[in-house]
Amino acid sequence: MKILVIEDEPEMLDSVRRSLENEGYLVETATDYAAGLDKIVSYDYDCILLDIMLPGGSGLDLLQELKNLNKADSVIVVSAKDSLDDKVRGLDLGADDYLAKPFHIAELNARIKSVIRRRNRDGKKLLELENLKIDLDERQLYISDRPLALNRKELDVLIYFIVNKNRLVNKSALAENVWGDHIDEADHFDFIYSQIKNLRKKLRESGAKVEINAVYGMGYKLTLL
Amino acid sequence: MKLLNYTLLLFSLALFAILTLWSVLFYFQMLSQVKSTIDDGLANYKILIIDQVKDDTLIDQQEDFLTKNYIIREISDSYALQVIDTYKDTLIFSAIKNIHEPTRLLTTAFANEAGGFYEMKVISPVVDKSDLIREVVNSLLWLYLALLISIIVVNNFVLKKTWQPFYRLMEQLKNFSLGEGSVFKPSQTRIKEFTVLDETIGKMLKRNDEIYLSQKQFIENASHELQTPLAISMNKLELLAESEDLSEEHIQNIGNINQTLERLSSLNKSLLLLSKIENKQFAGEEQVSFNEIFTGLIDEFADYAHFSKVDIKFMEEGNWSPRMNSNLAGILAMNLLKNAIIHNHPGGEIIITVSSSSFSIENTSDDPALLKVKLYKRFNKAPGKKGSTGMGLAIVKVIADASGLSVDYTYTGRHFFKVSQ
Repeated sequence: MKILVIEDEPEMLDSVRRSLENEGYLVETATDYAAGLDKIVSYDYDCILLDIMLPGGSGLDLLQELKNLNKADSVIVVSAKDSLDDKVRGLDLGADDYLAKPFHIAELNARIKSVIRRRNRDGKKLLELENLKIDLDERQLYISDRPLALNRKELDVLIYFIVNKNRLVNKSALAENVWGDHIDEADHFDFIYSQIKNLRKKLRESGAKVEINAVYGMGYKLTLL
Repeated sequence: MKLLNYTLLLFSLALFAILTLWSVLFYFQMLSQVKSTIDDGLANYKILIIDQVKDDTLIDQQEDFLTKNYIIREISDSYALQVIDTYKDTLIFSAIKNIHEPTRLLTTAFANEAGGFYEMKVISPVVDKSDLIREVVNSLLWLYLALLISIIVVNNFVLKKTWQPFYRLMEQLKNFSLGEGSVFKPSQTRIKEFTVLDETIGKMLKRNDEIYLSQKQFIENASHELQTPLAISMNKLELLAESEDLSEEHIQNIGNINQTLERLSSLNKSLLLLSKIENKQFAGEEQVSFNEIFTGLIDEFADYAHFSKVDIKFMEEGNWSPRMNSNLAGILAMNLLKNAIIHNHPGGEIIITVSSSSFSIENTSDDPALLKVKLYKRFNKAPGKKGSTGMGLAIVKVIADASGLSVDYTYTGRHFFKVSQ
């Protein structure tokens, strides 16, 4: 899997690249409009992470170029100003998703995987890890091919963890993803804990070969047993 | 009191005092003038009579004033020598009118050709003082009235004309609001005081506007520029926390830093949001149903409220769909609901009511009534609430103002917020 990150802020670029490389992606980078255009024209990528504010031009223009070239690369638009204009225009121009800065690494992971999964049109949309299998269309979890009933939130939490396996999942990233955008205004995320407690219990009782551990002050981590 | 009426009042009072004083002086002046005229007349009359009678060797004694207005009687020469002309006011009985009339009396003495000495008293009727006073007062009252009317007319015209630049200035100041592109236009006037006033105020407003804008811009830029470093720090910290070789203590420290950064980030987000609302960056209005917004929000916040042991009741008495920006409507409702959960106590409840023209959120709380003056101020934090940034109600107020809605707060043992058109 090849990912192009177009981002002008070097520190930001560094974190994103390191994080994506940890996931096993092949990461290429560009730091301005011209370099970005050069890479877009010359190569194909599975996913392009595109910052809108770039030195030398707008990311939206790059998106337009991509469209003109009839390229099928998935694009996630990233914008520092989480303005709706950018979001709407980006999606109108054919971007697959929109991510507002600042974002959590876990959220970036989830978005990239979701975009790549959507590209993969053939076959069933399945998410597999060890003896866990989630049918994303049916929204059904199987453990060692035996179905296990989870409520909506438990399933969403589990999907988020599987997408971010062995990675730190920030509590607020998880809350926003599963409970909705507005929930990041809550003064604490302790309520997540009760869902996770239930999920842990169900997984343990069904003999799942994964485990969800708490990371103090940050969130949780799904590890393989 | 209006400037016009105030000057009118002062004018009329001053005028009244001046006219009163003047009328007293006028009265006495006139009185003495009349007296001296009468006295002159008496003196002339005296000479006339003496001229007539002095050749007579024997002068008829005239005993009373019934037929003539003088009396003559013979006196001794020794007495005559000490007589000097005296004028005095007296009352003399008038048989015609059958009353005592005020009269001016001249007493004098003379000698005739024959060498006899006589005393003569000459009288002349004088003006009735009470009549005079009445006349003076009467005419002065008319004068006062006439003056007052002309002052009202002149004052109206002069004041209005003179103070026109001032009123224009006042009107402009009334409509001026900082940071909203209001332009101050100085009046075209030849009056120096007003040009100076206009110039000074114009300069002051311009300076204030600049300061206001630069401060606003500073907050905007600061929060905008903080976004990227904040995002980088948080991401780096997340990556650091994933490292394999961390001790429990390290992870705890990282966790603490992360929580602090998250607070900073949410504070920054609130500041950015406020700036964006104030800069009218939320364009586009539509019919927004608060019924739908609350239904969604209650679902989103259900676990959070459940964990805080707060019961949310939703009463739909009507449908309210005002025209406003849908994002702002969501943020408005969310902030009020979030507040109601945060400032609640375990076992408490929240009642959300949507009627056809408003919605209200009522919640139980251990906190006492909120101070209205500080209610919508930024960074107005409830003591002891760790996660609070103190921006929620400031955001609510700014959204309401920007959307033409009003927010009312009342406390009746429960905190009650009502948003209406």
